[in-house]
Amino acid sequence: MAVVQDVHGHHDHHPSGIMRWVMTTNHKDIGTLYLWFSFAMFLVGGFLAMGIRAELFMPGIQILEPELFNSFTTLHGLIMVFGAIMPAFVGLANWQVPMMIGAPDMAFARMNNWSFWLLPVAGMLLISSFFVPGGAAAGGWTFYPPLSAQGGLGVDMMIFAIHILGASSIMGAINIITTILNMRAPGMTLMKMPMFVWTWLITAYLLVLVMPVLAGTVTMLLTDRHFGTSFFNAAGGGDPVLFQHIFWFFGHPEVYIMILPAFGIVSEIVPTFSRKPLFGYASMVYATASIAILSCIVWAHHMFTAGMPTVGQLFFMYATMLIAVPTGVKVFNWTATMWRGSLTFETPMLFAIGFIFLFVIGGFSGVICAIVPIDIQVQDTYYVIAHFHYVLVSGALFAIFGGVYYWLPKWCGRMYDVKLANMHFWLSMIFFNVAFFVQHFLGLAGMPRRIPDYSLQFADFNMISSIGAFGFGLSQILFLYIVIKCIRSGEKAADKPWEGANTLEWTLPSPAPYHSFETPPVIK
Amino acid sequence: MNNTEHQTGKASTLQVAKAVFWSFLGIRKKDDLDRDAKMIKPHQVVIGGIIGGVIFVLSILTLVKVVTS
Ligand code: HEM
Ligand SMILES: [Cu+2]
Repeated sequence: MAVVQDVHGHHDHHPSGIMRWVMTTNHKDIGTLYLWFSFAMFLVGGFLAMGIRAELFMPGIQILEPELFNSFTTLHGLIMVFGAIMPAFVGLANWQVPMMIGAPDMAFARMNNWSFWLLPVAGMLLISSFFVPGGAAAGGWTFYPPLSAQGGLGVDMMIFAIHILGASSIMGAINIITTILNMRAPGMTLMKMPMFVWTWLITAYLLVLVMPVLAGTVTMLLTDRHFGTSFFNAAGGGDPVLFQHIFWFFGHPEVYIMILPAFGIVSEIVPTFSRKPLFGYASMVYATASIAILSCIVWAHHMFTAGMPTVGQLFFMYATMLIAVPTGVKVFNWTATMWRGSLTFETPMLFAIGFIFLFVIGGFSGVICAIVPIDIQVQDTYYVIAHFHYVLVSGALFAIFGGVYYWLPKWCGRMYDVKLANMHFWLSMIFFNVAFFVQHFLGLAGMPRRIPDYSLQFADFNMISSIGAFGFGLSQILFLYIVIKCIRSGEKAADKPWEGANTLEWTLPSPAPYHSFETPPVIK
Repeated sequence: MNNTEHQTGKASTLQVAKAVFWSFLGIRKKDDLDRDAKMIKPHQVVIGGIIGGVIFVLSILTLVKVVTS
């Protein structure tokens, strides 16, 4: 409880102007910083995506030289994963976790500040690496050696950026775990916690488990590059496939790090707008835990073509397909929650339903990729690109949008323009599918990923995909406009703008006070 | 089953095993969950989870061996 005292000590003496943001130890300010940072990175990553799709609009090479094209795909992936999606979820956790468990703030307020301010440094490293001799890293966001052993300064900057991002994530995770375990209001037992808090608790454990593995991987890469080791260098007795194993031992849990909080958000939104409690709360908790555990033993499904004994292929194939079971349990529960509920379709609910619908498509294409004989055909084609954009864009990103539209009235005390917000949903939904659904066909037809040029038979679908991508990109500017308009001149929002909502944050006034719960609420 | 007076009692090995098993499937009844939460200690979950994980991996391996032999 010393932590709480400390927070109170700082009460109302916070500096104003820019120093408020630099020095802040307030969970809401830091949450806001995280969210704006991740949106900025989303625009940068989006700019790179537009470049990629512009080059792929027609066969032949028009805009980006192959080397620069490769840097674009590499940095697009890195910036979106580490700069946009992950910080956005941490931002949502910063805002919501203390409010949802009835705490005044996060447990480690200063560490919170530090874990945010590391991010812009890493972001700048990644962006500025485009301008150093040799250009930015170009070996893909998975930076497999030998390509990543060869690149120039840009690769070192990427390694450094990943180290920093990893440190930030670990600190954020420790903070979230400590907050959830120690700062719940009296009566808020673990089993009464909202699902968003549960999913974040489990995600935070996953982060603490796998981010050090990533740090180890990039460190080994660094020593291979500069200090004469040969972990991944066959000529020196090392093995490049070792890299793939440790990268994906991090990488697969990482994809679940990006989807579990999304599950949490959807599990908040769906009951609210169905006016029914979440169906199978207990199952949801167990399914989340189950997905987290299983996600640690399926990593080699990314390596079916790297050479593996049949026993290994079958093991990872079966294990991967089993993950679909708890995932299916979740989808079943959301559907059952909506079943015979009195549904209304406000913007957050639209995004949540869009999420369920499209995430299922992504889940299915994942299971298809997990079947070894099929994956040997589609690995490294656009089919895989389609799969993971269905789970990451219409999955993770749609859930983030849903979460923002759900909680924005609480954050700024104002309501956004619902018409425009619904338009944002429909534009995103339509253009997303135009951009990515056709990529399934491109992949099945054999179009490889990470290639700036392609054969003529892929031309039509690529043009459709590019048009969808430009549309999707433009629609996101609308999102920025909606949020700014809401903050500036939105109508005053009620304390509880959604009648079906009943988690703790809605008992606070809108906008939420600087310190969430100064006296802990008592939970029945 | 609803012996709330036993809420401070330690969970039996069987109860931990059951909880771990259901967690792998991802389904659990609310009453059972409440009971698990009251009675199972964190270290029991961790140890149970590790043993459950090992059994899970071994059984997939056995299946794979059977399929490939
Ligand atoms: C039902 C669950 C899922 C299954 C069975 C599954 C299966 C797979 C498989 C087998 C691959 C490898 C394809 C290949 O490279 O040939 C893959 C790739 C990928 N998956 Fe999934 N997946 C699932 C859910 C998810 C989720 C929820 C996410 C993220 C939110 C995700 C993100 C990714 C990414 C990013 C890749 C590509 C990595 C790369 O090579 O760049 N997947 N998935
Ligand atoms: Cu995976």
